Amino acid sequence: MTDMKIGAYVCQGCGLGERLDTKALTMVAQKEGKAHVVREHEFLCNSQGVAMIQKDIDEGVNRVVIGACSRRAKAEAFTFENVAVARVNLREQVIWSQPPTDEARELTQEMAADYIRMGCAEAKKIVAPTPNAAHGTNKRILVVGGGVTGMTAALESARAGYEVLLVEKAPALGGYMASLYKRVPSREPFADPQPTDIEALVAAVSKDPKITVHLNSRTTRTSGAPGQFSVDITAESGPTRTENVGAIVMATGFTPYDASRLPEFGYGKSPNILDQAGLEALARSAAAKGEPMRRPSDGKEVQSVAFIQCAGQRDASGTHLKYCSGHCCNTSMKQAMYFKAQNPNIDTAIIYTDLRTPGNGEDFYRSAQTKGVIFTKGKVQSVAVNGDGSASVHFHDLILDDKAAVMKDVDLVVLATGQVPNSGVNIDIPPDATDVPVTEAGKVQSVSVLNLTYRQGPDVPQLKYGFTDSHFICFPYETRRTGIYTAGPVRRPMDITQAVEDATGAALKAIQAVENAGLGRAAHPRSGDLSFPTFRREGCTQCKRCTVECPFGAIDEDEQRYPQFNEGRCRRCGTCMGACPVRVISFENYSVDSVGSQIKAVDVPDEFSEKPRILLLACENDAYPALDMAGVSGHTSSAFVRTIPVRCLGSVNMIWITDALNSGYDGVMLMGCKHGDDYQCHFVKGSELASYRMSKIDDTLQNLNLEKDRVRVLEVAISDIARVPQFINEYAEKIQEIGMSPFKGF
Amino acid sequence: MADVVATHETIVVVGGGISGMTAAVEAAETGKNVVLIERAPSLGGRVSQLYKYFPKLCHPTCGMEINLRRLRGNKRIKVLTLAEVTKIEGRAGDYRISVTAHPRYVNENCTACGACGEAVSAQIPNPFDYGMSTMKAAYLPSLMAYPQRYVIDPSIIGTPDAERAQAACKYGAVDLDMATETFTLTAGAVVWATGWRPYDAGKIQPYGYDRFANVITSVEFERLSDPRGPTGGRILRPSDGKEAKNVAFIQCAGSRDRNHLKHCSRICCMASLKQTTYVRERFGDDAQSTIYYIDIRAIDRFEDFYQKVQADSTVRFVKSKVANITEDEASGDVILHGVDTEGYHRYDNRHDLCVLAVGMEPSVDIRTVADVAVDASGFIEMGSTNGGIFGAGCASNALDVNRSVQSATASVLRAVQVVNRVAKAEG
Amino acid sequence: MSDLNTSMVEQYRNNFLKEVEANVEGGTWVKMCMQCGVCSGSCPLGPAWEHPPQELFMMIRAGKREEVLKSESMWMCTSCYNCIVRCPRELPITHIMHGLANYAHRLGLAPKMNPTRRFAKMFWNNLVKSGRVNEIELSVGLYFMDGFKTGVARAWAMKDIGLGMLKTGRLNPFGFLTHKGCKDKRGIHRMLKKAREIEDRRKGLAA
Repeated sequence: MTDMKIGAYVCQGCGLGERLDTKALTMVAQKEGKAHVVREHEFLCNSQGVAMIQKDIDEGVNRVVIGACSRRAKAEAFTFENVAVARVNLREQVIWSQPPTDEARELTQEMAADYIRMGCAEAKKIVAPTPNAAHGTNKRILVVGGGVTGMTAALESARAGYEVLLVEKAPALGGYMASLYKRVPSREPFADPQPTDIEALVAAVSKDPKITVHLNSRTTRTSGAPGQFSVDITAESGPTRTENVGAIVMATGFTPYDASRLPEFGYGKSPNILDQAGLEALARSAAAKGEPMRRPSDGKEVQSVAFIQCAGQRDASGTHLKYCSGHCCNTSMKQAMYFKAQNPNIDTAIIYTDLRTPGNGEDFYRSAQTKGVIFTKGKVQSVAVNGDGSASVHFHDLILDDKAAVMKDVDLVVLATGQVPNSGVNIDIPPDATDVPVTEAGKVQSVSVLNLTYRQGPDVPQLKYGFTDSHFICFPYETRRTGIYTAGPVRRPMDITQAVEDATGAALKAIQAVENAGLGRAAHPRSGDLSFPTFRREGCTQCKRCTVECPFGAIDEDEQRYPQFNEGRCRRCGTCMGACPVRVISFENYSVDSVGSQIKAVDVPDEFSEKPRILLLACENDAYPALDMAGVSGHTSSAFVRTIPVRCLGSVNMIWITDALNSGYDGVMLMGCKHGDDYQCHFVKGSELASYRMSKIDDTLQNLNLEKDRVRVLEVAISDIARVPQFINEYAEKIQEIGMSPFKGF
Repeated sequence: MADVVATHETIVVVGGGISGMTAAVEAAETGKNVVLIERAPSLGGRVSQLYKYFPKLCHPTCGMEINLRRLRGNKRIKVLTLAEVTKIEGRAGDYRISVTAHPRYVNENCTACGACGEAVSAQIPNPFDYGMSTMKAAYLPSLMAYPQRYVIDPSIIGTPDAERAQAACKYGAVDLDMATETFTLTAGAVVWATGWRPYDAGKIQPYGYDRFANVITSVEFERLSDPRGPTGGRILRPSDGKEAKNVAFIQCAGSRDRNHLKHCSRICCMASLKQTTYVRERFGDDAQSTIYYIDIRAIDRFEDFYQKVQADSTVRFVKSKVANITEDEASGDVILHGVDTEGYHRYDNRHDLCVLAVGMEPSVDIRTVADVAVDASGFIEMGSTNGGIFGAGCASNALDVNRSVQSATASVLRAVQVVNRVAKAEG
Repeated sequence: MSDLNTSMVEQYRNNFLKEVEANVEGGTWVKMCMQCGVCSGSCPLGPAWEHPPQELFMMIRAGKREEVLKSESMWMCTSCYNCIVRCPRELPITHIMHGLANYAHRLGLAPKMNPTRRFAKMFWNNLVKSGRVNEIELSVGLYFMDGFKTGVARAWAMKDIGLGMLKTGRLNPFGFLTHKGCKDKRGIHRMLKKAREIEDRRKGLAA
């Protein structure tokens, strides 16, 4: 290891030169920050400025402190190969956050000097990360599920040149789609049901040399990390083989909601009351025999059919599925067209409350009407089964406001039930829990899909109602298991067209995961980050907090019950670092020490100075950009605040807070993303964990004999540009009110 | 633009909105070289002008921050702004893409310090606020602008204002001699993600968008609700600046209509449901929102959001396509006329403001640039004749943000398949 | 026809819709309605309708044959075409309304005293008589169709317009005496007879 040589550079551009004594700042860097080289530059981000820094690096500088604009600006200019860079935000969060007055000059300069001290302190504690040597290089993709989603994912991956393993539990490929008579059209003119063409898809998958298919098989054990998963594939009454893969696409589809839960609609009371799957089977068998569709009860040719939409769906009462499955309106129209194609005189009526045919589905809706399918806006109350096998549908006609409307003696009733995802075990529900709602699908499914050996449970965490969707609107593929992507109706209720698109997207993410794993780089949202957590084994007390709290299930336990970091699964949020009570977990460029040193580097004036110091730990994803933009927008805030960006509030270690309070800070603020149901935290649980941990801070404050208000946790959004400085100022006033900390000068 | 290196293994992404940005970062993070071309001076597209996203009510800038960080940190992406693709020739694996780049009059020396903006006096309509506010003719397109560089509006070129901007810049960043450039890029595959534009509401004659000040579009309402918008998020109506507490939302304004757009634009129901929460957020129990709808299309998990809004006592739902709007000239109020078809109730409802949930149409007709199949609404259809050109996001269908991202990600794989074939052939 | 009049129509089945499709002008469009109600809201006579167009369409689909055919509603249509212009499904609503009225009239189910129906009949008879409308005869007939007293009141109310028409030569006060017909009255009658035959055949009403 070569000697540490710090170069500190202070920019004079963008008004920094006028507002600050940059010479004095370089002196601070030199004397207090122990920088070996210090320089001012009138325009540091231009090519000469950058060249100047690069020249110093070439001559031995290996840590760089840039006192200029925010790390969010000019990132391209201030990135240097293999050199750790500490950005000191003198522009957005010092001169732009302070009034440009003579009176404010002294405090502004003090602020800048502190930030320079902090930058130098950070630079000493970080190194440019190098990729983990233990990264995996397997580029094979495992697809679990051989329906249209799985087959599409397999085929699209193979077309990009990747080997694929496809595991299907049934004896044949095809999945639910293979049970359909026809599908909803995917192309203009969106007028008629079209063949599923599933045979062609099965054939393409079967003959693709890059795809190996395992039928009658399940994934009975999955361990490892992106680039190096190890998977046991067990054939039914057959051998188990272990395969290595780089990433996984989980496309296990859905199961139709159990219609026997809908006795009020007559299901089970007559064979002439079917769900949509039952109608597909009827249509297929009739077509196979070349016969018209007949009533199951007595073989009478069907003359009339009623379709009941939202059967056991959109149910706010909680008895049935609360959500809408999205495809069912189109599916019922398609099925009504089966009958119209058989005989245009067959009465087909669809009873709906909101007809949901978005996009080009509107063409299909019009086509159904053209064919004479009748649409009735109404709420079905009950279905009565008559002695002759027919049924009468009682409903509230919402247009004619007739609460006693009846569709009498129809031959068939089709219930449009919803999709229940085949997502395996809900790892968030304890195995012994009672009273689990059916819609959560947790209790319903006790068989694991992936059988992950992960410490946190055998399947992918579920978001809601059993779906393994991402909670992020901008990032639909972010499951909480790195390198495992879910696609199709297991992720979210969807139709075939969307499932095909979804499968293709998930395949890209899987390919991306193996490519990045091969380079030892992190996946979203810290894409490309080469740092990864390491821990000091000697210091570990095996408390397991890191393994339990990691939002991504990246940490297992080894045989000796020490944490086992799977770097490939890690998203580099630092939640483990924040959790560790003995502070043994760190990243090369982000550690308890690298932040702790910054906290200690701040010059804390004595209690008679009337200059309090407030530490602000701000999430770099939302709060920190909001602070930057507050500066750009000309909002001023207290000059007594010293801000340190953190990767996530989840990475905040309690020691930072106690250290800050012990060393005389008057208050500590934490700004992170929203948590709860509509959480905003990019690391899913970071802000929630932080808020939980901070709820226990009162004890610490009590032990230190400090007021409760010495620590404040705030939820902010990136758009809180005007509010963030307001929060700061309010807190600064509060601190003035409760007075200076008694811990100064110790 | 001689510094743009593109080969047959390059993926060109056209459009820098959420779909294009996603496509660019996803492709680059898969190890592909990308040129991202955007017509406006900044990336971000239409979503950056939204106040919040449904159903989480989170802020688009949040995802944008992450995407920009991914983009800044990736050397495989070259971004061209103020640039338009005028022609695509060739075939999969071998495209020649003609690009016209318009002058920004500001070079990469710009530090976004704002001195030029302070120096000029001319005001121009701010397109970020759909013209509902004005801004200086030397401007940063938005707080989240990328590249984080000012723009000198062409309208002041040759005026003393431009000279003042140049004089104010200490970094030699203002370059008034910049001119339009045209050049050709090589690419293996193209992801076309030029997004959507709101249907021209003026064409819906009975609603009087072109006649009544207090009839506005849903995209304009986003700006009125945004604290960064022209009214500071106070939801003040255009005619007299009065707080618009009683707001009507008209669904299918242009969509599902053979006279206008025949498709359903998919997002508008959710957008209006979301916008009722803006009114609620701003005015509390004094808020009154009325949604006039044909069918509420809150599919899949969005149903939760619909149920949540239904539970809000300040929101009313009327099943009706509004017949026409009149204006009470004295007050500026708008009066909506029509029939609630659930049980036949005729209404003449007075509102402070009426928001038209306008439909989506493709912002660019790709057929003027390349030989690509489109559907009757102009959205790109997937097809074997399209070669290595793939539609993504709202250029391919009326999609919400989540599905646009999904679509963009899928398109990247299709593009990757093409360039991987090229790479294999080239050895 | 009488069997149709008395036939039981099952609700929410297609029988009545099929009947309308077969017999009513524009009837095949009824199934295309999506119940948005823009037609009902756009009608300048809207408040006068017991069942506005979109509701009539739903009633047809619900098999409410009697209620529809005996309704006064479709007789309210003044052919302003607002509904057609605005209908997002391009239904020829005006035509369907007249078609329904016409069909109900043919079936003998139309309300006997409906003023529009009575005026239409009066107009038709007046026109057919000479091949040309006789304004004075028509207007007097219209005003006095409900008796002498109301007739005087109505005529008095319209006197200004009547005088104006007299002055400009638009109303011949001696029209009662001089039935000025068209040149080929018999030709007109032949033509109308033929047209009726064709129309009846088209609607399957001919013997």
